[in-house]
Amino acid sequence: MAIFITTPRKRHVCDEFTEPQRLVTPGATITADSDFMRGHGTYMEEDELIASVAGVVEKVNKLISVRPLKTRYNGEVGDVIVGRIQEVGQKRWKVDVNSRLNAILMLSAVNLPGGELRKRSAEDELKMRQYLTEGDLISAEVQSVFSDGALSLHTRSLKYGKLGQGIMVRVSPSLIKRRKTHFHNLTCGASVILGNNGYVWITRTPTEEEEAPDGGFVQNLQPVSDEDRRVLARLRNCILGLADHRMMLYDTSVIYTYAASEDYPVADLLNPDIMKDVILKVRQQLNQEAT
Amino acid sequence: MAGLELLSDEGFRLDGRRPSELRKIRLRLGVFDQADGSAYIEQGNTKALATVYGPHEVLGGKGKPLHDKVIINCQYSMATFSTNERKNRPQGDRKSTEMSLHLQRTFEATIQTHLYPRSQIDIFVQILQADGGNYCACVNAATLAIINAGIPMKDYVCACSSGYVNNTPLTDVSYLEESQGGPVVTVAMLPKSEQIALFKMDNRLHVDHLEQVLEVASKGCKDMYAVMNAAVKEHVSRMAKSMECS
Amino acid sequence: MASIQLGEGEKTFIIHGICKDDLRSDGRTCLSYRNFELECGVVSNTSGSARLKLSNTQVLVGVKAEMGPPNPLNPSRGGIEFFVDFSANASPKFAGRGGDELAAEISNMLGLVYKNKKMLDYKSLCVIAGQCVWTLYADIVVLECGGNLLDAIALAVKAALYNTRIPLVTVHKDMDGTEDIDVSSNPHDFVTLDTKNLPVLVTVTTVGSGHIVDATLEEEACSMACIVAAVNKEGAIDGMVKKGSGSLTIDSIYKMLTSAKQIGKDLNKSLDDFLSKKGSDMSSKGFLT
Repeated sequence: MAIFITTPRKRHVCDEFTEPQRLVTPGATITADSDFMRGHGTYMEEDELIASVAGVVEKVNKLISVRPLKTRYNGEVGDVIVGRIQEVGQKRWKVDVNSRLNAILMLSAVNLPGGELRKRSAEDELKMRQYLTEGDLISAEVQSVFSDGALSLHTRSLKYGKLGQGIMVRVSPSLIKRRKTHFHNLTCGASVILGNNGYVWITRTPTEEEEAPDGGFVQNLQPVSDEDRRVLARLRNCILGLADHRMMLYDTSVIYTYAASEDYPVADLLNPDIMKDVILKVRQQLNQEAT
Repeated sequence: MAGLELLSDEGFRLDGRRPSELRKIRLRLGVFDQADGSAYIEQGNTKALATVYGPHEVLGGKGKPLHDKVIINCQYSMATFSTNERKNRPQGDRKSTEMSLHLQRTFEATIQTHLYPRSQIDIFVQILQADGGNYCACVNAATLAIINAGIPMKDYVCACSSGYVNNTPLTDVSYLEESQGGPVVTVAMLPKSEQIALFKMDNRLHVDHLEQVLEVASKGCKDMYAVMNAAVKEHVSRMAKSMECS
Repeated sequence: MASIQLGEGEKTFIIHGICKDDLRSDGRTCLSYRNFELECGVVSNTSGSARLKLSNTQVLVGVKAEMGPPNPLNPSRGGIEFFVDFSANASPKFAGRGGDELAAEISNMLGLVYKNKKMLDYKSLCVIAGQCVWTLYADIVVLECGGNLLDAIALAVKAALYNTRIPLVTVHKDMDGTEDIDVSSNPHDFVTLDTKNLPVLVTVTTVGSGHIVDATLEEEACSMACIVAAVNKEGAIDGMVKKGSGSLTIDSIYKMLTSAKQIGKDLNKSLDDFLSKKGSDMSSKGFLT
């Protein structure tokens, strides 16, 4: 069977580019006007507003901030995230969300099995590990932000909770476009959760006969069928290809990439040349739509 | 000085440069995908690779998190094949520990540490080929890696070394020039405010010549800054364009 | 290896895929490799070097040839020594002494495989028997640690050895009987090594009841045991070790070795083809591509 050994490829980014108008690098003065309020990515020194990261200046009314291209996830209230349990502690779980501090999921912020509403007892505390243990993946929403920047999560709705069989993919958080919803059921039979923190979860859409989402208490460990597996593998390769080429991830771009990739067998999408062709087609399609 | 003539009568150095010329600089940002930030720099034949992880939770060994600022953890290591004579240990020896400490102090002066309390930033630099100016290449590579990781800094940190031969200061000394025993001054500077973050000198230099040598090193740093800034702008433009296209 | 944690659902998904459908998470079959990117001659002050990238695993190998006294047990042979360095670039876990144990394990395994006299022409590395021989120091730096590290390292070592140039040495006998060694400083006077017998390492990982090659980190987290076999271009096995905490039946070992032999042959062939075209490059772009 063929094993491919090649010389390294040129990194895939745009060949032609123009310098964006408000591009700044650390130490560059943005403005000497003291009227403006300073936002993230800037600092004041002697009445001058100076950038502290490399990126594009964003001006909203009187607030100037600089958004860097690539950064760890900075959570905001209401974001949907996919995270992995790192630690089980006293009445709380610590969750890794690709941010500068682990997020906290309090015991009081998860649904009890069966949907009971009562105060959590000492027994519940002892059973914490039975529900979520180290290594489990969950989907949750950001409830609030602590003063030191750590996030507090909750899984109070039935669509959140422990995740079952599927594939998790990591991309940079800045590539996830903010949309109204991050749960997408695609026509190919797969569901995708595009977590704001850059963790993407790909799974099979549960069919009508199976139970509706119940917070993940009952895990479905039945083997997934062959075609479904192929769909999931193809989606995984598409999402990684989009991330490699620094394209924004949202439902439309994922669907277009999936459609464009159907000309090739799944394993071939790992070949960088083929992925490049697919992404080119998608870029053209998206550019056409934009105009 | 026996043997090699560091500065010829016409004013050329061993590798054909003029006294105030920097070596050829080539660099790349974002070399590794798994790290938060990474950069690679070649200054002449010296090659350095830097990666930045973080900010992230404080990992076990480094002790307790600080409540008001971020912990900066640096490690300097040299590949065993990087020097002409094979080195036995990549890191852990005294010189590497000293360099790691220097790097930590340098970056504590410029990274805005108060923004990330209770977290940790790791900066790892590896020398793949050592031909003089190792510390300078490390600092420059680390600066680029930190910018690539999106961690806020007051300003770039650019480093340059300079020597003094035949009453002429030389910019960016190579290994051959360093090993001749003449003085070598290494300066790490924040170019905008012209503040010096690190200043180091080896061997002997008469204090009368110090100002001249320091000035030459500062100019070298500013030239480095121009090259690095242009490269960062190009990198950001390319990335911004490809993210916009979608 | 730097291991990651997986949830129960993810593990079940991966195991079912491998055991029942011969389909892995990225669409590959159980016995296929990802694409390799290889270039030689990356570090100029070594005798030979190579950089290999296998998706998210990246290693850099530099070979330095040094003259010195021989091992007293083998006075008329040269030798090769391995040193593996897990760079902190790959993961913060490897900072300080973090990667030392793993590194020692890998260097020992390589040393074991290369000890065999038929690997390299060690006799040709002898300059003056009993006094002076060439010792090759192969230093491996692990820059990124994704799955399947051993295969990547073995391939890169073979490529770096192919790329190695040892300066030509002439020995004259002086009039009073002492031998004088003259190392040529002409860069075009060199000797290369014959790497045709060198093996590659193939790691076959058991997952559930099936087995795979070229495991990713996620797949390694689901497996309990693996077999690493050194296979040369004829398909003969030059060395073998079982790793991991699980146990294997004789039947499964036999099946895994059969796969390893065939794959080892194919891997060697692709590598030899590539090296014959690009193995003698001395100044590749390295990280600047």
